[in-house]
Formats: sequence, structure tokens, C-alpha cells
Amino acid sequence: ASQPSAERSIALAPAACAPLPGGSTRRCRRVIRYGACLYPAGTSASHCFLPEFISGDFDSIRPEVREYYTIKGCEIISTPDQDHTDFTKCLDVLQKKIEEKDLQVDVIVTLGGLAGRFDQIMASVSTLFQVTRITPLPIIIMQEESLIYLLQPGKHKLHVDTGMEGDWCGLIPVGQPCSQVTTTGLKWNLTNHMLSFGTLVSTSNTYDGSGIVTVETDHPLLWTMAIKN
Amino acid sequence: MEHAFTPLEPLLPTGNLKYCLVILNQPLDKYFHHLWSKALLRACADGGANRLYDITEGKRERYAFLEPASATPLILLFRLFYSLLSKCFLPEFISGDFDSIRPEVREYYTIKGCEIISTPDQDHTDFTKCLDVLQKKIEEKDLQVDVIVTLGGLAGRFDQIMASVSTLFQVTRITPLPIIIMQEESLIYLLQPGKHKLHVDTGMEGDWCGLIPVGQPCSQVTTTGLKWNLTNHMLSFGTLVSTSNTYDGSGIVTVETDHPLLWTMAIKN
Repeated sequence: ASQPSAERSIALAPAACAPLPGGSTRRCRRVIRYGACLYPAGTSASHCFLPEFISGDFDSIRPEVREYYTIKGCEIISTPDQDHTDFTKCLDVLQKKIEEKDLQVDVIVTLGGLAGRFDQIMASVSTLFQVTRITPLPIIIMQEESLIYLLQPGKHKLHVDTGMEGDWCGLIPVGQPCSQVTTTGLKWNLTNHMLSFGTLVSTSNTYDGSGIVTVETDHPLLWTMAIKN
Repeated sequence: MEHAFTPLEPLLPTGNLKYCLVILNQPLDKYFHHLWSKALLRACADGGANRLYDITEGKRERYAFLEPASATPLILLFRLFYSLLSKCFLPEFISGDFDSIRPEVREYYTIKGCEIISTPDQDHTDFTKCLDVLQKKIEEKDLQVDVIVTLGGLAGRFDQIMASVSTLFQVTRITPLPIIIMQEESLIYLLQPGKHKLHVDTGMEGDWCGLIPVGQPCSQVTTTGLKWNLTNHMLSFGTLVSTSNTYDGSGIVTVETDHPLLWTMAIKN
């Protein structure tokens, strides 16, 4: 699905938690994968760390872990399709839940996927390409000090002034060359430049201090940035 | 014409494979010692020197062939032979823009006589520039080399992982030699357009493998030897990327591709 031609504006920092009953909010110390976090003050950590659901083909989940979450009432959803990764299938289930519950959601934050087996790192990136068929929501993936986010063709305005940004950033033309890329806000900007594996890939780039990066691209382009330690 | 290649051949305890070793700025794995001992030429790219320095603490100047300590006498003999040509754990050269190498590490290797080569060009990564220097050394010394083995580059900062992959695309302009990159349990190798025959029967292969059309769609990919083969199939981000694939047991994988295609595979633990 192509993005509207108007600029998409997004701040890529994890949001605060959903409000607690009574209207007060707490900033989560951890973002829970695939679930809302209700973190009443004073309770033990284990009480609130229950996901909404766990999905997959279950070749990795330990039996005692599966049993524990089943007993605790988490939905266990088997997605055996071997043509798609657990991640892709999980997003599919998540989107359905969002629709069922009629939730207003701004972004899906994913933890993991950027380290370990090289084929799995690539599978995570691949999911970002496929997910436009599954959900209209932006997906970010974060692990250790790295974040990735796929910019669809068009113009993008990235706010990088949360104070959580680390030093480096980059634009990676995964999947195909991007023949016309124009940026502002970077130390090394591009003007109608070609980015492709074999000619130029923007890595170890950084910011010019303005707090905003704009990217215009003719093909999907992977944005990557450092998360401050 | 078919290109035959055995990606994990450098890990075999015996054999005649002639390779050079490049160390990048990532933690070194257990197979480092073996790969060091049999390399013709060894180099570090910038912070890779820190990794070498730290992992060889206390034994930088002992005979390299004794590492690791547990090895059969026959293997020790092989290593002794190769180590007579080596200079323990001292690289031939260290190159880079030196924004990562620690000052005491740089000083140590300088005193020890390793060549320290500054490559300040900010349009290319330390890795790419190191390969450039390495190729010149190979030519100067008229070495017969089969492959360049790189350690590191597949973990840590995501932009650096992508930079490692990018170097594989650029390196065809620098050297005709195949380059493999290894870190932890992963190996990557870029298949140029054409036919390839990969020997995956060294016994060092792990369970998984994959074909990643990183730079552009590969519209015509045909494989044999995989559990999930392709026949004139399109591989591209957005349609199909082959991950979590595995072998059919024949010990040989063939890949025919119309565009550069990244092969990735598991190294057995």
C-alpha cells in the first residue's frame, strides 16, 4: 500500500503507558511486547507482566513457559503456517485484536529481531516489507542500541529530538535501489541521490542538530538509528 | 560456468586452503584460534585490533600453534608447521581511521613492528579499506590465496551490519577473491549472478541457511540441495526471502541467480 503524498510525521520514541483506572498514568520501565501494560504502583513485577496473547508455531517456547501463561489466562494462538515467520503472523493476530477492540493505536513497537542468527535478522527486515498488507500502522523494531523503521515511498519527517537518540543513523536501501533520495537534517545529506548496495549505502551518518530529519524516497528505504545508552 | 565453493572449508582442521584473515570490531568467537593459526596473512580493521589484543592477553607472543590447548598431537604438528610462518598473535597490519582502536593497543602493535596504515577516507568503511590494503599486500607478496575470511561484522550496530553487507557488494572492484564473513553462528557470502555449487558437507554446517536478495530483486532463482528449493522463482523483500531454510542431506547446494544474492548459513556450535 502506498503512503499518502503528504508528509508523515512521527516521533520514534516509545510512548507512555496506557492510563490506569482513575486516569493516572505511569511511565513503563519496560515496553511489553504485544500487550498493554497496566502497572499499578506497589505490586510485584511478575503480576503485571502478562501478555495479551502469545502466538507462533511454538517450536521455541519452553513447555513450562507455555503452561504458565496458559494458566494465567493469556490467549495462546497457534499459527503453524511455515510460509511466514512467527513475527509476521503475530502482527496479523495483533491487527485483528486492535480492530476487534476498536483501539486507537499510533505505532507497533517490536523488541528483538536485530541480533543473533543472520537469516532471522533479515527475516525481521522482510516482515517490515510485508506488514503493509497486514496493518496500516507504522512498525518500529528495537534491540540493544539499534532501531529500524521502513520508510515507504514519499516524504517523511522524523523528529529526532526526544533526547533518546544516540549518535549514529543511516539509510539502507534494502530490497532494491532507491534512485532518488533527498534528505535534510543529517550531517551527510543527499540530494536526488541514488542509494543502493554496490553504489552507496548511508551508514555511520549523524544529525546536524536541528532535531528534524526529512527523507524523500522513491522506493522503500530502511531508516536506522541509535538509541542512547 | 559454475563456481564451486566450500564456505566452511577454513574451519576444517586439516587441508590446503589458503586464506587471509580480517578481524573487525566485534567479539571474537571460539573458532578464531584455529582460523588465526592457518591464515597466510592477518589484518585488523581499526577496533578489530582491540578485540585481538584482548582475546590474546597473556599469550600474544606465545606460539600461536598451541591454542586452543586441547588438540590431538597430529593437529598440533599441523599447527606447528603453519605457525612457523606466523608471528604468534601479531597481525601483518592494522588499518583504519583509528577512531576505535585504543591508544595502548595501537602503541603495543606499533612497538611490535606491525604495520599501522591510516586509511582516513570517510566515504568508505574501515572494512572496505582494509580489504583494499590486503589485496595490495597479496599482490606485492605474490601470494596464492583462495578466500578472505572476515571475523565480525554481523552483530552490534544495525547500520554496521548493513555496512558489512554493503562491502561484499563493493569488494568485487577491489579483489577477485571470494570474501566470507563469520560471526557467532552465522556466515554470509555474496553469490554473484550465475551458477554456484556450494559444498556443505564439511561437518561444520549448522541447521539453517538462507538466500537474501539484499540489494535488489532476483527474479530468476533456481536451487537444488535445500529443503525448500526454488525453480525460476522471484526472491525479493516484499515477496519472498528464503530464511530458516535447511539442507536435503545431499551435501551440495546449487544456486543459480540473475542478480547478486546473499547466501547465509549456520556454523555448527
